[in-house]
Amino acid sequence: MLAGAALPFSSVAHAQPSDLPPYRFGVLPLQSPNKLASMFLPLAKVLEQRLHRPVQFVTAPSFSVFMQRVAQREYDIVYLNPMLCAEAQKSGYHAVVKIAGEPFTGILVVRRDSNITELAAHRLPPGLRLGFPDPGAFAATVMTRRYLETLGIPVDKDFKVKYFGSQDSVLMALYSGLVDIAGTWKPSLRSMPKDVQQALRIVAETPPQPQMPIAVRGDMPAGDAKTVAEVLVDLIGTPDGRRILRGMELPQGFVLADDSEYAKVGK
Amino acid sequence: MSVSAPVRLSIAPARAGKTSTGFTHTLRFRLMLSVALVHVVLMGIFVADAVREQSDRIQAELYSRGRSLVALTAVASTNALLTEDLGALAEIIQRVKNQPDVVYCEITDSRGRILGTTHPERLGKSLPLLAAKPEQFPLAAGDHILDLQERIRIAGQTVGTVTLGLSTVRMDSALAKTWREGLFFILAALMVGSAAAWALSLLTTRGLHNMMEAARKISRGDLDVQVPANSRDEVGMLAIAFNNMVASLKRASEDAAQEHERRTQAERLACVGEMSATIAHEIRNPLSAIINSVNLLGGDALNREDRIQVISILNNESRRLNRILGDFLEFAKIRESEPICADLKELIEEIANMLYQDHRTGKRLSLTINCAPDAQTAVFDRDQMRQVLWNLMLNALQSMPEGGELSVLTRRDGEKIMVSIADTGCGIAPEFLEKVTKPFVTSRNGGTGLGLAIVQRILVQHGTQLGIISHPGVGTEVSFQLNGVN
Repeated sequence: MLAGAALPFSSVAHAQPSDLPPYRFGVLPLQSPNKLASMFLPLAKVLEQRLHRPVQFVTAPSFSVFMQRVAQREYDIVYLNPMLCAEAQKSGYHAVVKIAGEPFTGILVVRRDSNITELAAHRLPPGLRLGFPDPGAFAATVMTRRYLETLGIPVDKDFKVKYFGSQDSVLMALYSGLVDIAGTWKPSLRSMPKDVQQALRIVAETPPQPQMPIAVRGDMPAGDAKTVAEVLVDLIGTPDGRRILRGMELPQGFVLADDSEYAKVGK
Repeated sequence: MSVSAPVRLSIAPARAGKTSTGFTHTLRFRLMLSVALVHVVLMGIFVADAVREQSDRIQAELYSRGRSLVALTAVASTNALLTEDLGALAEIIQRVKNQPDVVYCEITDSRGRILGTTHPERLGKSLPLLAAKPEQFPLAAGDHILDLQERIRIAGQTVGTVTLGLSTVRMDSALAKTWREGLFFILAALMVGSAAAWALSLLTTRGLHNMMEAARKISRGDLDVQVPANSRDEVGMLAIAFNNMVASLKRASEDAAQEHERRTQAERLACVGEMSATIAHEIRNPLSAIINSVNLLGGDALNREDRIQVISILNNESRRLNRILGDFLEFAKIRESEPICADLKELIEEIANMLYQDHRTGKRLSLTINCAPDAQTAVFDRDQMRQVLWNLMLNALQSMPEGGELSVLTRRDGEKIMVSIADTGCGIAPEFLEKVTKPFVTSRNGGTGLGLAIVQRILVQHGTQLGIISHPGVGTEVSFQLNGVN
């Protein structure tokens, strides 16, 4: 029954590029773990091949847990939102790349058949149900809430706010009628099934912020950090890379990031 | 001459000790054994097949349940594994552990780190899996845990592994119970089959037993026995044939008895005639001598010396005539033997010493008596045995006119006492040896030829007969058996 002590546990895992301990690639739980894994595992594999070192995809049950782990420096590489990147910088992480092209904005989405066409304090009925993925979700929660407040809409005062844990959950909650407005961001909306996408409508978009970055822990060897950045930036240049990017709902790829621009986010 | 007596046909058992066979040799036992064996073999095959089928089913059920459980566990734990939510994994592990037969469950990530386990001491460590590889039935000897694995795969990559161990103890117990029940059924079949076979054998062999009992009675001379022939089967037909055979046997026996009676009567008449002729012959010679002597004495032609000689002849022939008649009377009046337990050694010594004293004068005669310690008493008619021993020893002494050695010895031969009398006399001619025990046969002048005939007749009444070994010029040994005393 019991395996021999000498039997390497790796016999059940996929091929190891080396015997070095793996780099842990932490991905902010923007969506369901399964979906995130489907999106980021191909990327992890490419990184593994280029770094000649195992790269393990991991996520967390919630933003807060994710950030706790970031604070404890449990991840070597992290994919997170700009605001949390600023937090991560305090724990010694440095942004190396960010999503290219598309501005980083939050969006507010309603059902296509909804009567809500514009967001104005006097036009929204009291008791409206608002859904967000997580209080720490930068684009979907922080930016959209700030945007609503700039419009003079007191979110917590006039409306019922509910958090659903992930982007997918809040979009599905909107789709199924559990909420009237959902805060999210565009990649998540694009990753939803076509039927869901077609049943939903963007009603507002926040002003842009620096894009979602990928940061590495400060103690990562400079060569590896450079390799990570090169791999991510070069993805757009190869068919396999573009296929991976499409799988991540980020067809525009990555560009090098200026770590300092994230220090201002959230302030 | 032979003694005639009513004769009935008697079928002596060939081997009296073997007439009642052991139970294991009976047809009844063999029938029972055959039926019981058939039951056991058929039930054994049936039970073995049923148990094997049930065993396969139980194993397949356990394996299927295990596969379902490990697959479900993999599905349920995927999110928690990816998010490294140890609390959720612990809850999943706990739920899995509560399932029947689960011995252990472990969830590892893609790097082999244990994120959920029923063994808390392994949590968080990168240790070898509890099972090297997934198993299928049959398990190795002594292995009572079915190890199953399910890889958690996303986008073609393994992100973790669920390892599950299911105890087969309950299954083994169920199989053992099935085996026990199977053995019980075999035993029950054996008992029922044996009982049925017993009843069947009783019905089948009852007629044969009746015939066996009847055969025993027939062997004891009872030819009036009949066996019931009620059934119409082979045994019934055999019973009818048996009864016919007994009837035929009875008729044959009666015919034989009548024939024997006729022959006995004829022999008796012939014997009487022979005796009459012998008596007439034996008497006529001395009687003629007596008559002639008397005639001579009646004349005056004899001188004194011749007269004395004629008177002597007259006396001798008269004594001879008297002895002949005495022997005849003695031969004719032999009574039925009345055997008792008596001291044979004492009788032998008494007779031997008496005859030795009478005959040793002027001879170099030696007497040896050797009675073995366990052959000194026997069952015999004392008076008749005295005459037997007297006649045999007297014959031996008379065969040694110049002296010799007379040996009398007894020894035990099983239940019997062997008595032997040997001399170193002139012996008996071979052509004379076979008829020496018949009446009126003698090789000695003046003998009546009745001595050994009397001996033989007495010994026959004692259930034995005289054995004679003789070498002319060397000697003769006569012997006979008596019933010994334990």
